[in-house]
Order: sequence, then structure tokens, then C-alpha cells
Amino acid sequence: MKVNSIKEIFRENFWGLFVVFILAILGILNQWIIAETTSILWKNLFWHLVGLISLIFLAFLIDYRKIPFNIVWYSYLVLILILLILFFLKKRWIDFGFISFQPSEFIKPILVLLISLIASKEPNPYLKLKTLAKLILIILIPLILIFPTDVDYAFIMVIMFISFLIFIGIPRKILFSLIFIGLLVIFLVSPIIWKNLKPHQKGRIYGYLHPEKYAQTWSYQLNQSLIAIGSGGLWGQGIKGGWSTRLHYLPAKYTDLAFAVWAETWGFIGVNLVLFLYGYLLYFCIKISSTAKDWLGKYLALGVGLILFWQALFNLGGCSGIFPMTSIPFPFLSYGGSVTISLYFLLSLMFNVAFKRHFFK
Amino acid sequence: MKRVNENEIFIRDFFKTKQKILKGLFWEKRLFWAKVLIIFSFIILWLRFFHLQVVKYSYYLKKAKERSVISYVIRAPRGEIITSDGVVVATNRAVFQLYLDPELIKDKEDEILYKLSKILGEEFGSLKERYYLAKKTFLGRVLIKRNLSWDEVAKIMVRRYYLPGVKVEVESERFYPYGEIYFHLLGYISKITLEEYKKLREEGYSMEDYIGKIGIERAFEKILKGKNGVIEIERDAYGRLGKVINRVAPIPGEDLIITVNHSLQVKAYELLKDKKGAIVALSPQDGSILAMVSTPSIDPQKFIDGFTQEEWRRINSSPDKPFLNRALQAYPPGSTYKIITAIAGLKAGVINSVNNSFFCPGYFKLGARVFRCWEAKGHGNVNFIKAIAYSCDVYFYTLASKLDIDYLAEISKEWGLGKTTGLGWSEEKEGFVPNRAWKEKTFKEPWYQGETVVMGIGQGYLLTTPLQMARVYMAIGNGGYLYKPYIVKKIKSLNGNITNIDPQIEKKLNLDPQHLEWIREGLSEVVEIGTGRAAFVPGVNVAGKTGTAQVVSLAMKKIKALEHHAWFVSYAGMSSPQIVSAILIEHGGHGGSAAAPLARELYKNYFGIKEPEIAITETNE
Repeated sequence: MKVNSIKEIFRENFWGLFVVFILAILGILNQWIIAETTSILWKNLFWHLVGLISLIFLAFLIDYRKIPFNIVWYSYLVLILILLILFFLKKRWIDFGFISFQPSEFIKPILVLLISLIASKEPNPYLKLKTLAKLILIILIPLILIFPTDVDYAFIMVIMFISFLIFIGIPRKILFSLIFIGLLVIFLVSPIIWKNLKPHQKGRIYGYLHPEKYAQTWSYQLNQSLIAIGSGGLWGQGIKGGWSTRLHYLPAKYTDLAFAVWAETWGFIGVNLVLFLYGYLLYFCIKISSTAKDWLGKYLALGVGLILFWQALFNLGGCSGIFPMTSIPFPFLSYGGSVTISLYFLLSLMFNVAFKRHFFK
Repeated sequence: MKRVNENEIFIRDFFKTKQKILKGLFWEKRLFWAKVLIIFSFIILWLRFFHLQVVKYSYYLKKAKERSVISYVIRAPRGEIITSDGVVVATNRAVFQLYLDPELIKDKEDEILYKLSKILGEEFGSLKERYYLAKKTFLGRVLIKRNLSWDEVAKIMVRRYYLPGVKVEVESERFYPYGEIYFHLLGYISKITLEEYKKLREEGYSMEDYIGKIGIERAFEKILKGKNGVIEIERDAYGRLGKVINRVAPIPGEDLIITVNHSLQVKAYELLKDKKGAIVALSPQDGSILAMVSTPSIDPQKFIDGFTQEEWRRINSSPDKPFLNRALQAYPPGSTYKIITAIAGLKAGVINSVNNSFFCPGYFKLGARVFRCWEAKGHGNVNFIKAIAYSCDVYFYTLASKLDIDYLAEISKEWGLGKTTGLGWSEEKEGFVPNRAWKEKTFKEPWYQGETVVMGIGQGYLLTTPLQMARVYMAIGNGGYLYKPYIVKKIKSLNGNITNIDPQIEKKLNLDPQHLEWIREGLSEVVEIGTGRAAFVPGVNVAGKTGTAQVVSLAMKKIKALEHHAWFVSYAGMSSPQIVSAILIEHGGHGGSAAAPLARELYKNYFGIKEPEIAITETNE
């Protein structure tokens, strides 16, 4: 019975795991293509290995149904505390010298867990007003804290988690009134926000609206990104052959524009490969959400899927000029310790749901 | 109590179950919308990347290349031009050029320019002005100084590290060793203009190229030019140059061997030096050009070394128009045209014997109009030979008065007047031969026979170029073969292959040998006893015709600038004619005194005859 179910688990989740594994390899490969010094390459390899091992470890050994609520709650509070300190220090990072740690990245897995835990206690198709208010509060507190230091991230996380709540179930009347209030607030507050935006943030908007006009200034990054992607063509310029990457024309090529490097190197074929693999991963999350046998599992799997989706959408949309450029890394391909660890943590939650499906009575 | 509780539990359970079922259904519906959201977004992304990478690939590749590859043009050395006696008259020399790349010195232009001004010993202000001016007009690198000395090169090279963006390059540059002597013949080269560049970009011209203007340099531009090479070097975002990704060696232009006789050309220039006019000498055997000089001239080297502002202003505003190649400009031919009138008269049968003579009282009357002979007291009775020898106007007035204008025009055109000679140079003028239809169209007036009479002595509306007149006398000298004049006889390619260019004959004129003999006799008499005695060379048979073309009315004769144009067109040879020449002196006065002596000097040089200077008796016409 047990051997059979392990076989069954493996058979069902093979493609999901395989895709993650391939994406991890593509990520390592991409950083190798970008790398000018080996140090970032080794660090990146290290984070991916740590991530993959902890993914396997967490997915197999821990049961999401038995995660104590208190631990999640306390880690949430600790994170809030750290963010509060950073808020007053006006910093984004905690620097340990050899590595730096970005607490805002860890909001994502903790919030997904916390929201799912709270919401899954209610059997209703729509959340009760009280619970909804509580969840919105839980979401908003950390986002308000990171807002001054990292507007992009705060903005995207609002979209991530509000969309998550909408899928979990906000009663229609409240949803519409929320949207109405939201629009009203945006309408009233945006001039104030616009005034308080830093020049580089304003510039991104200008650059997005008129990429050719500000080619040398605000949309330099976008322009270089477009050239890199476009000049990749159908087949790409080959490994370490891309002009944009090799000749330092692409800014932030390790992180935000890592996908532009990929597109330049492998061309439209390579872009299709990543889009396909990534799309499959998202499909896999939704499938797990559909087949999970309890609400906590269903919520967790969808939450992870949504986070991965928005993150990819804003990164790809940013570097290809559909959306304004935001400093959001692309999962797997971009470099970053906290980003990678947080990504594998999210994946381990989703795979945990997938694996534990067979252990329901 | 208990029953109620059980009921309540049952009801609660029922509602709970109902909620759960509902929630399950709702969830699947929401997952469906999640899928729609994801698929929709991915399709948008896919389309966007398809657009960028497939549809606009070439656009972005071009942008990427413009940004990250810098290409340097290696100019092909221009082909040399060598005369038939082996003198190199246009060549190339290696020079050091100092370039500055504005891209590489964006923020420190003044600093670098200041350092350079110290090294070159130039004033900082003027160097800076020159740099900014050049930067505006030319794309890419800016030429700061030409033709550096070894000393300057050494000074710059040792400081190279402190002078980013400064480049010293060895380039081949055009060199004309004989300067003004060959200006109109060779032409010159100058930097390509923006309009020319736009037109010629497809043919591989670069912004830094030179292009041939006038003369051989323009007519044979394609052969002389060669093909530019290029070096493409990667340049990174900080302006550092990386590896060479493409290198195409230049293909040098091909050498031209021209038909010109160098010593004759030098002599011709010496003869014309302080005058305003042209000499063109042809070989009657094949129509090849032996010499072609026009004065005043310009040193073509100046177009490379640069003019001072004063020089440039003078050249461009000079009333002498030194850019004009006078050998190819159209002038009234004067008496040199009488040969054509004579031929027309002979052909039409107006005269059928050398002894047909007319009486010249010094004037000719047609109706109420009186036409004067240049010899006011008259020539008395003149026959055909004498008429040519003394250039008797009355004889040719009479002849022309018996001819129809359209017939005369037809004969003129048959002899190559009124159209270009086939040399193929765009600066060549067609000249002009009037006829009845033209007169009626232009002036809405009929043609008067008096105008035919005037045309009979080469005046009136008629215009010919010295080259056209030389050709007319060439055909008389060689028995009626009207060759196309040509100047390049061989093209020598890089690997030593020689392409010969054969002379081309335009037509063989249909001439009665008897008529030809009479005309030749007349032309010989011109030099023996007539108006062209100043062209006499002992031991050489010179035959030709003087011409004095009136350009103004008699009343204004006093002003020097409006003197007559002096012509002398002739052929010469030991037994048969070996050289034909047309000499024109603008406002030079009489052909016999101003042009004929030059022919004498020219032929003496050509046939290598040395003789003590003898006083030449002045003649009028």
C-alpha cells in the first residue's frame, strides 16, 4: 500500500518536479552566460542547490496539515518587526557581509500560509466580512512597511494577494464596493503619490510612455532590454555571443533583466521553451489546487500559482515594454539569494500539497 | 431536550454539507477563471515576444549593431594616372592623419583639445573651433590635422595613454605632382558632399570618401576609385573597443594610362600661362588627345591640402572662371569655320574649280546691307586657294550667299559641330549650329539670307568648342576620318592585366579627293604666304587656318576685355599630318598674331626642332 502510493505520487508529480528541475538548470545556465566573475555563478549555484534540497526535504518530510498556526503567526510577527526596523532605517536589505537578506521576499510564503490557514477554517463559498477585514489587515501591514523602500514590490504584492483573496471568495457586493473605494482612493491619492515618487520612479513611467524619446535617460533600461530581446531573433545570438550582455549594454542583467539575456542568447525558441515550462508549472499548481482534498491544500496551491504568475507577468511585461519597468526578478532565471530561497519555499508548499493527497483517509 | 439537540445537529450538518458542496463547485469555477487569466496573459506575452524577436528582428539587430559595433572605413588607394611617355601625373602618397573620435571623448573634449593644441603648437581657440565645425558637418571621426610630421607623430604616440580618442593613421592621399598644368585634364578630387553621399551610399561610398570632380577623375571615377575596405570592432557600453569582428581589405583602384604627351602638355601650359585660353592637340591617326590645357588654372593639390579663405574666395568669384575647361567651352569659331563653308560650297557645286574667282573690293553687298572684309582696301581678284590663304571674307560672303542655311547647318553637323564629340565628359559643351527652324521657333522671325552670309565666316549664332574645331581639321588632315577623341588608352588592373581601349571612329566623311586636295593646299598656303605665317616651322609641313572671332561691336573695340577671340587650328607633320591642334586665346586679338605663334612653339616641341629665334613679322589676320 505504502510503496504503491509512493510510486503513485511519483508518477503523478513527475512532470511537475521535472519542470522545476529543468527551470533550475536553465537558471544556472543563464547565470553562467551572464557571469563575468565566477563568484555570482557559484553563489547562484549554491542557492539553487540549497533550494532544491530543501524543496525535496520539506515536501516529503513535513505535512502541511500539521503546520501549527502559532508558528506561522509568530514568524509573521517577527517579519513585521524586522520590516518595522528596516522601515525606520529606510533600508531594503539586511546586510550580513557575505550575504544580504531581503525580508520582503519572505512575506510571500508566510502570507500565503497565513491567509490559507485562516480562510480554510470557514466552509463558506464567500469569506465572512470579519475574516475578510482581518485578512486585508494582515496583508496591508507588511506592505505599508515596505512601501517607502520598495514601491514596485508593494504594488505587485497588493495585486498578488488581493487577487488571491478574490479567488478565495470576496462577497460580490463587498468586492464591487472595494473596487469602487479602491478606484476612488487611487484617484484621490495618486497625485500625492505622484508628487512623492522619486525621480527614477517617475522616470520609469515617462520611459514607459515614450520609450524612444527618453532612450538615453529614463527608458535607457527598457530600450536596451528591447534591443537585447529583439536582436535575439528566432534562434538567438548563441551562448555568450549576445552584444547586449557581453558588452555591458544591459543594466541589471543579473536580476531584473535576466530574461532579456535569455531572450538574446536563445532567441524566440528559447523564450518559447521558458514560457512553455513556466506555463506548465502554473498549470500544475492549478491542477493540484483542483485535486487537493482539503481547503488548506486547495488555497495553498492556488496561492503559490498566483504568486508565480504575477511575478513572471510583471517581469516579462516589464522587460518587453508591455508594462512599466518594475524591479521584480524572474523566478529561476534571475539571481538573488532571498528570491531563490523564497521561491523554493513556495514550491515546497505546493508540492507538499501534491504529495500528501494520498495520505488522506 | 436530547431530540431537539439531535435535530439541531442534523440541520447544522445539512447546511454545512450544502455549503461545502457549493464551495467545491465555486472553486472549480474560480480555477477556470484563473486558467483563463493565465492563458490570456501568456498569449499576450507570446505575441509580444513574437513581435519583438521575429517581426522586428532586423530593426533591433540594426539598432544593436549601430550601438555595439563601430566600423572604420579603410579608403582604397585611388588608381594612378600615367601619361603615354611614362610620367606619373596623379598618384598617392602616404601621410599621417590625426583623427579624434567624438564618441570616446564626450565629457573631456576641451581637455584633450587643449593637450593637442600644446603638442601641435597651435592656438587652442582655433583648434577648438575647427573641431566643433568638423564635428557638425561630418559623421564619425573628425580629422583634426592632415599630413603630420614625424616629429608630431612621435609626440602624440608617446602621450597616447593620456589622449583617449586620438588616433594617428597612415592613409594614402592623392598627389598631383604637376599641379596647374594638368588641372582641367585630370580634374581633382574633393570630399564627398551629403547629397552625393546619399546617392552613392549604395555603391559603397563612405562619409569620409573623396570623389572625382571634372576631367579624368570624374569621367573615370568608377575605375580609379577601387573598393573601400572596412574594419568592424565591437564597442562596449563604456566606449572600450573589443575584438575585431570583420575585416575587409580595400581593393585599390585601377591605373590609367593616358594618351597625353607630357612634354607637349607642359609646353602647352607654358605657352598659355599668362593668357586666358585653351590648347587642345589630337593625333589625326586615332583621335587620341595629346594635350589639353586651359588657363587660368588651379592647382588640384589645393583641394586636398586646403585653400586659404582668401584663395577660395578669389577662385570662386574670379571673372576669369578658372574652373572652366576652355577647350570644351563654346565660342564663335571665326574664320576657322570658313573651311566648312568652302566644303559646303564645293559639295553644292557653287564652285567647281580652284580658279573660280570673285572680286573683293573690301565689302560685299546683299540687298541694302553691306558686309565688310577684314582687309578694308580689298583683296582684288581672289581664287579658292588665295581666299583661304588670305582669309578673304568677301569670297566666303559670296559663297555663303549662294548657299541655303539648312544645307550649311547639315554639313556643319556632319563634321561634328553642334553636338558633343564623344569624349564623354559631362563638362563638355555641345556648341551650337543654327538653322531655319530654330530661328523661327526662338525669335518668331524668318531666317534672313544675310545671316547665312555672316555665318559663312563663322560669326553670328554659331558656337563651337576648340575640341570640335580640332576634330574638323583632323578629318581634313587624315582624309575624312572623324574619330571620337579619347584620352585613356589602357587600364592597368592590380594584378597587371592591361585592358586596351581602342580608338573609335565616328564616321568616314564622304569627301571628293579633289576637293580635299584644294582645301589642303589652301591651308598650307595660309602658313606659307597667308595669315598664319607665324606658325611656320622649318622642316615641318604645317597647314591651318587662323580665326578672329568678333565678340563685340566695333565701337567697343578699345576695351581690352572685349578684344576678339584669337583662333588657330592646324595640323602638322613631316610627310603626313601627325598632330592636330586648336588654339584659342580669349580676347587675344588676331588669330594670326596671338594664336599662330603658339602653334609654332607647340610643333617645335613636338617634332623636336631647335632653331634660332627669328623675328616673326606681324600680320593682321
